[in-house]
Amino acid sequence: MRLLTVLGARPQFVKAAPLSRALHGHHEEVLVHTGQHDDHLMSAVFFGELGIASPAHHLGVGSGTHAAQTAAMLVRLEALMIADRPDAVLVYGDSNSTLAGALTAAKLQIPVAHVEAGLRSFNRSLPEEHNRIITDHLSNWLFVPSAIGERHLRTEGVAAGVFIVGDIMLDATLQHVGRAEQVSRYPGAAGVGPGDYYLCTVHRAENTDAPERLTGILSGLSRLNKPVVFPVHPRTRQALVEFGLLPGSNVHLIDPVGYLDMLQLVRNSSAVLTDSGGVQKEAYYLEAPCVTLRTETEWVETVAVGWNRLAAADADAIVEAVDGLPSGRPAHPPLYGSGDTAQQIVRVLDGCR
Amino acid sequence: MKPPALVLSVVGARPNFIKLAPVARALGQRQVRHVIVHTGQHYDADMSDAFFRDLEIPEPDFNLAVGSGSHAQQTAAVMERLDPLCSELRPDVVLVYGDVNSTAAAALVAAKLGLPLGHVEAGLRSRDRTMPEEINRIVADRLSDILFAPSRDGYDNLLSEGIPPQRIQFVGNIMIDSLLRALPAARQLDASSRHGVRRGEYTVVTLHRPSNVDEPGVLQELLRALSDIAADRPVLFPVHPRTSRRMTALGFQAGARVQVFEPVPYLEMLSLVMSAGLVVTDSGGLQEETTFLGIPCLTVRPNTERPITCTEGTNKLVPPHRDAIVSAARAALAGTASAAPTIERWDGSAGERIAAVLCDGARFD
Repeated sequence: MRLLTVLGARPQFVKAAPLSRALHGHHEEVLVHTGQHDDHLMSAVFFGELGIASPAHHLGVGSGTHAAQTAAMLVRLEALMIADRPDAVLVYGDSNSTLAGALTAAKLQIPVAHVEAGLRSFNRSLPEEHNRIITDHLSNWLFVPSAIGERHLRTEGVAAGVFIVGDIMLDATLQHVGRAEQVSRYPGAAGVGPGDYYLCTVHRAENTDAPERLTGILSGLSRLNKPVVFPVHPRTRQALVEFGLLPGSNVHLIDPVGYLDMLQLVRNSSAVLTDSGGVQKEAYYLEAPCVTLRTETEWVETVAVGWNRLAAADADAIVEAVDGLPSGRPAHPPLYGSGDTAQQIVRVLDGCR
Repeated sequence: MKPPALVLSVVGARPNFIKLAPVARALGQRQVRHVIVHTGQHYDADMSDAFFRDLEIPEPDFNLAVGSGSHAQQTAAVMERLDPLCSELRPDVVLVYGDVNSTAAAALVAAKLGLPLGHVEAGLRSRDRTMPEEINRIVADRLSDILFAPSRDGYDNLLSEGIPPQRIQFVGNIMIDSLLRALPAARQLDASSRHGVRRGEYTVVTLHRPSNVDEPGVLQELLRALSDIAADRPVLFPVHPRTSRRMTALGFQAGARVQVFEPVPYLEMLSLVMSAGLVVTDSGGLQEETTFLGIPCLTVRPNTERPITCTEGTNKLVPPHRDAIVSAARAALAGTASAAPTIERWDGSAGERIAAVLCDGARFD
């Protein structure tokens, strides 16, 4: 088949890397970058690190309101899909690019494959929740990471085309963790030693756009008993400046880091504090306990096995959650497959040639 | 429950306005501030002042003038222009209607802004993903906080898709509200005699779906069927200029017993339909109107999102083949007229129920 893959947000490049590699020799793939996230470090560098080809098409959509961004993508993707006429469109995750790719393809009657389908936070105030629900309902192949995703879909009347294949990010983590250790200068470059720091990331709008939440997170971090390495997302940096917030002296704000550096920072941390779905999973795969700075998570299995705790954006809750993290090493079952998700997806697609 | 201070309705195509009218009236009676945004998706010549007057719809407050374009272009243009307006007005509820591109686009804008969203005519499913309307319905329903279902089967579709029952309101069919209100005037208009045909002895035909009119072979087959039907009874065929051009391209010559004319205003159309012996169509609304009026209807489509019109009403699906259409038409015309079926909550009160849900927290299940 000839696949057109729509990417736009940084985690989508991570997810695309293992699958692109596995598709090679089986199916033709054209990569499209919508431009949803577009600073250099957050996308271009990624292609080098991840060993995938640079996108054949760059739509240059850039930032804007959700509606404006999605609208611009619809128009440009439609023109591209009409010109390119792929046999299927491949989308990942839950961003505006995901939704735009799925909606455009569905209207053009091009089958849609959704990787990381079936996730639900059950919080309808989050734009990602709408994106993933609509994408799932427009998709022909739904590749879900675990049985819970399949259950969510069945509840919504979606049964056909659902495949439990594990988490594509586990493929990526396993493929890159060795190289990360060889080439990354972290955690030393952040002035901390292995096992002697916490790692924090914050990027979600509900945390960065609300001063009280961002304040809650920073004051929670400042009360922790170890240094905190905090690579700052551009949106978060802007919010810190705008709200005039300064973290405590144990918090090291650093520029955003590449994928390999991030793996290295996660792996060597004594715990991770994050509002990112991807980082929650990386923490689990690399056996770092995690505190999630949200009131809910799509990755409920990591909470159920005791490696992840929800703390919202409240200082007391954060300190308490970190204190309550397991000190030993709890059982670490394979929650999301064994790292052969890309192979499984390719096998499903092979059957549809 | 506090009544909404501001309701914003988004409409884009002719059928949307027909669904808007009863809602606008019911909200008006409760003196709720109601802003109407016309996306300008369809500009029909027949959507003139007379159209608004016939339906007693207030003039739209805003016209986004998006015009025609591909699906993505139209959807995108509505989103880009509606987004700033919704951000500025911050309505307490956004209402979208039916299944056109404006419906999906406005639903996306409301959901992305976190504005409560209501979908009027929710839960319809043809299960045919090749219909762009089906995609629009799915998008609007998945995003909506309140889903106003026209029929029991629509309600059940939503339940089976895991929509929590408290979000679904079985308010009935809003199209029937407009129809019932217009019926006396339509009867008085007596459009059939103005077209020189006798009550109950003619067939009304409408065809507009791309699957029927864009493919010359299919259109040819349908036109031959019309000519055959016209041999028995006269055919009235209001036809969109676009379809008309395609017919001309095929060299179609209307026989003496096929009257081809431009689309007519709502009241006149209703007047023609209510006195027809048979309707042949591919439209969604006509399937419901004929069922309500007890007029036999042949729908030239492989499926319908309004199955209740087949199971309880007068509708029958026919394939786009000359013989199938002609024999179904003869059978329908030969049959004895039966009483119009009574379909649950197709009673003219859907608009009032929607207002009661929004303003009083009423519950209809």
